[in-house]
Amino acid sequence: MAVQKAGSVNHYMPTGLRAAIIATGYWVLSLSLTVLSGSVASFIGCLLACYAVDIYINRPPLERLRNPTIIAAALAFALISLSLSALITGSGLLPNLLSPIASYNLSEFIKWLGISASITVSLRTLAQRTSYGAVLEILFVAAAFVITLAAHRNGMIHRPFFIGDFALTRGMDPSAILMALGCGAVVSLAGLLMIENNQRRLPYHFAMLGLLCFSLLIYVRLFGIPTPQLTDDLGLTGAEQSGSGSQRENPFRDGENDASDKEAPVAIVLFRDDYEPTGGAYYFRESAYSQFNGSMLDFTTNQSMDLDLIEHFTNTRAEINQQLPAIDKRETVTTTIGMLVAHRNPFGLDTPVAYENTPNPNNLRFKRTYNATSMVPQFEFDDLLGRETGHTDWSEEVLEEYLELPSDPRYQELAESLIVNLRPEYANDPYARALAVKTYLDENGIYSLKNDHAYAEDPAASFLFGDLTGYCMHFSFAATYMFRSLGIPARVGVGYSVPARNRAGGSSLLIQAVHGHAWPEIYFRGLGWVIVDPAPQQTLVDMTTDPQNSLQQLLGDMLRNDASFEEFLESQQTSLFPLRTLMNVLAALVLATLLTAYLVKFYRLWIPGRLGSGQEYRLVYRAVLDKLSAIGLHRNYGESREDFANRVADLTPSFKQLTDNHLACALGSEATTAAGMNMEQWKIMGQAVDKEITSNAESWKTILGLINPFSWLLTK
Amino acid sequence: MPSDSIAEVADPIKDEDTNLSATPVNTLEPATTSSKLVQAVTVLDTLMTCVKRQVLGRDDVIELAIIALIADGHVLLEDFPGSGKTTLAKALGEAIVSDDTTADEFILPFRRIQFTPDLLPSDVTGVPVFDSNSNAFHFRHGPIFAHLVLADEINRTSPKVQSAMLEAMGEKQVTVDNVTYPLDSLFFVIATQNPLDLIGTYPLPTPQLDRFLFKVTMDHIDRDSELDVLETYKERRDQADTEKITVNRDEVLAARKTIDEEVVVSTAVKTALVDISRNLRDDDRVLQGNSTRSMVLLMPALQACAALRHRSYVSAEDIELLLPRVLGHRIELAPGVSDFEKVLAESMRKPMEVLARGTLN
Repeated sequence: MAVQKAGSVNHYMPTGLRAAIIATGYWVLSLSLTVLSGSVASFIGCLLACYAVDIYINRPPLERLRNPTIIAAALAFALISLSLSALITGSGLLPNLLSPIASYNLSEFIKWLGISASITVSLRTLAQRTSYGAVLEILFVAAAFVITLAAHRNGMIHRPFFIGDFALTRGMDPSAILMALGCGAVVSLAGLLMIENNQRRLPYHFAMLGLLCFSLLIYVRLFGIPTPQLTDDLGLTGAEQSGSGSQRENPFRDGENDASDKEAPVAIVLFRDDYEPTGGAYYFRESAYSQFNGSMLDFTTNQSMDLDLIEHFTNTRAEINQQLPAIDKRETVTTTIGMLVAHRNPFGLDTPVAYENTPNPNNLRFKRTYNATSMVPQFEFDDLLGRETGHTDWSEEVLEEYLELPSDPRYQELAESLIVNLRPEYANDPYARALAVKTYLDENGIYSLKNDHAYAEDPAASFLFGDLTGYCMHFSFAATYMFRSLGIPARVGVGYSVPARNRAGGSSLLIQAVHGHAWPEIYFRGLGWVIVDPAPQQTLVDMTTDPQNSLQQLLGDMLRNDASFEEFLESQQTSLFPLRTLMNVLAALVLATLLTAYLVKFYRLWIPGRLGSGQEYRLVYRAVLDKLSAIGLHRNYGESREDFANRVADLTPSFKQLTDNHLACALGSEATTAAGMNMEQWKIMGQAVDKEITSNAESWKTILGLINPFSWLLTK
Repeated sequence: MPSDSIAEVADPIKDEDTNLSATPVNTLEPATTSSKLVQAVTVLDTLMTCVKRQVLGRDDVIELAIIALIADGHVLLEDFPGSGKTTLAKALGEAIVSDDTTADEFILPFRRIQFTPDLLPSDVTGVPVFDSNSNAFHFRHGPIFAHLVLADEINRTSPKVQSAMLEAMGEKQVTVDNVTYPLDSLFFVIATQNPLDLIGTYPLPTPQLDRFLFKVTMDHIDRDSELDVLETYKERRDQADTEKITVNRDEVLAARKTIDEEVVVSTAVKTALVDISRNLRDDDRVLQGNSTRSMVLLMPALQACAALRHRSYVSAEDIELLLPRVLGHRIELAPGVSDFEKVLAESMRKPMEVLARGTLN
């Protein structure tokens, strides 16, 4: 392999550009393989190696070494750094001296520095010295990008998650980001190719590459990205949310859940009727703990209890027919719910009375979609006072069940002590008593996700008679036990509670993982189950979330599956930046330019011999020049026509003749032009040159030249 | 297009090619070119062939010498000894013969003057000598009375002699004792100077250099040519005495006239030349730009160059070839600037581009 003394090496600009591109390749590649320090190290290592090779390749120490020697040395360097990094993590000295994390970062840094530097040195050396080396280098960068985007191969726009989620949670179209990334890769590669100028690549071939990219972009604008075929998980939420529907041994033991995915969307609710909750929050009931199983409240096993709950999804319409609450104090509200995460039970706005599956507009996005008809509470404070509890249809046994509580006498003692101060007229009023209990918890309870009640025999007792620090489960269980101890039939409702302000005026409401909730509720005669939710005034955690209005609207529109979804997408884009309009204008401009360019191109090839005589010398010659431009041959600035003709004489010997004739007409006397060759002769000469070009030029060049709309611009 | 018509298409070109190789007038269509121009071009070709036979590996210098001869200019060669200057000058001088009996008998085809510091003007021009038989002064013609004079090492002689020489070159006449003797109309000087050995020389000042149309710096001939010289010097020496291709002096003069009249210098070419001159004068690296006269002198040279290349029009090629030779000794560069070629190339680029593009409009 001939050693190329690349003269253009010691320019910092190309070196820097090349180094940056290759280093970006490393960075992209190492992202998924190592920690941040490793990525940074690979970036730095590549930059240093690029500069070192480009600067020193033609200087004595490196100049004399042969390729295998340099590559072997690079390999040795990589091995040394690998063993050094293994030594750092392997021996106890550094981790003890620094910290385990720091020493791990250090070892990753050294490892990746060694790897990237050695690979870069090898590739760069080969690229500098051999003709195939540059190809290896470019392949490497290409592979880095391809690996990153490989997860998208089936048109899956959500993978990798760090791109898909990033875009989806912001209401952006992930395809735009992916296209940008892809275009970035193409531009990087094209840049890399351009820098290797000794490989005789022509700028207009890269114009073709750009054109190809652009046509891909236009295709995506027009037809969109293909729909993914095989996927079970949309990645919208990452993992199954615990929610309240999943079976748990002990509801108190999910207190260790981490708050990292608390914003993950769980479901989207579309309101079909006007409704504003009276209590400042939307409650969605999924299930309830109502039967005391000896140690705590659990789902009931009694067939005649909790008749208002539907325990499973059905294919047909499921309605609650028995023991319906009175309609006069409630109002019917229909909602459409799209579950983004699988649940065991359907849930609905308090109090759901009917469920009906609806066609799923996007079965990749929604696990299940259904309409829920709810009888939402419209009662006032006054309606609750003076009401009796329980339902007339309840048997003694059922009432007993709703009143059963742990044998711990302290519940009743505490409850009794709390109602002592009630005014005499309310002393026996169930709601007033319940409020007294709720007030006690509101004022004294501390809301916290961290607590040490989970493994107590009775977590509720440990909470209530201990530090009063806990979360909704503790509050609702404690309240329920106390209600029951006062003879009020109560249970723990489970589901979601979403602050009313989250709805932000739209018709859709996003339920997120953080909204999972449990609350105590009391059965009032004629009103049904009424939520009496303790709201501790002291809280140690911030359970509020940023309202995600865009995502809420996006998912809502997706669920609604009407034209407004498309409009929404557009409005999202225009509200940010008139990107779509700009893109369309740009696309139109480019198309118009292309069209004009092609028109001009083919006009110039077609016109010779069709215009009046006297111009053939010019038109025929120009057409021939256009054909030469198309295959990448054109006169340089300041070069004379004769020099150019001599330059391309190998390809087309007749061109010299044509040039001379052309110049004789252009620069000679009038007589020469007038009495020169006639149109036929000019055409024959032009065709002869054409034939030579066609037979002598590489066919790929000819084809590229035919496609290239701007080749004629090079003609001068 | 059917295959037989392709063959038809290709044929005329082939025919033309064979025609062209038969006649030297490559691109000149017989119909458009006067027979006079064809004749003139033939004269130039003959001269070229003749000199080329004697001097190997110096085609470019031969070309320039012939161009200068036709353009009625003189050539200054900057060269080292033994590079074939004399051979060239002699070959060119001897290629032109005069069978005109009416012509001055004292005018010879070729003379060489070796300039030395003690040379006197009369050694160059000639001197009136008293003839005791006729009791009168007779003008004794000096070596300058020739078609072609080789003025060897012109910078070695005193300015007095130089000025006499240069006057003769400029005016084509010699004045001795108030009598003016015209030189031959073909009078053509090839002067040389050694670029290195400058001790004891009288360098020619710029105005005097202006008398030369071209200043040509010669390099050593290439390896193959040098080998060729050694291989064939005997044959050439022997052959030189036996068969000679010659051109008549009158033919050369006729060619000079024809070329002047018939080779077209288009407006575009003139525009390019003027623009190049203006660019040069505006260039900071140039102290003094070229004169208008240099451009005027360049015109016939360009025409001759075009004719030598079998063209009836002046083209960019001609400008590229001649301009550095014509302007090299006429332009004074600013102190510290040495690369005239580069300065000129930069000044030329845009006008030449305009010239080239202009042919398509």
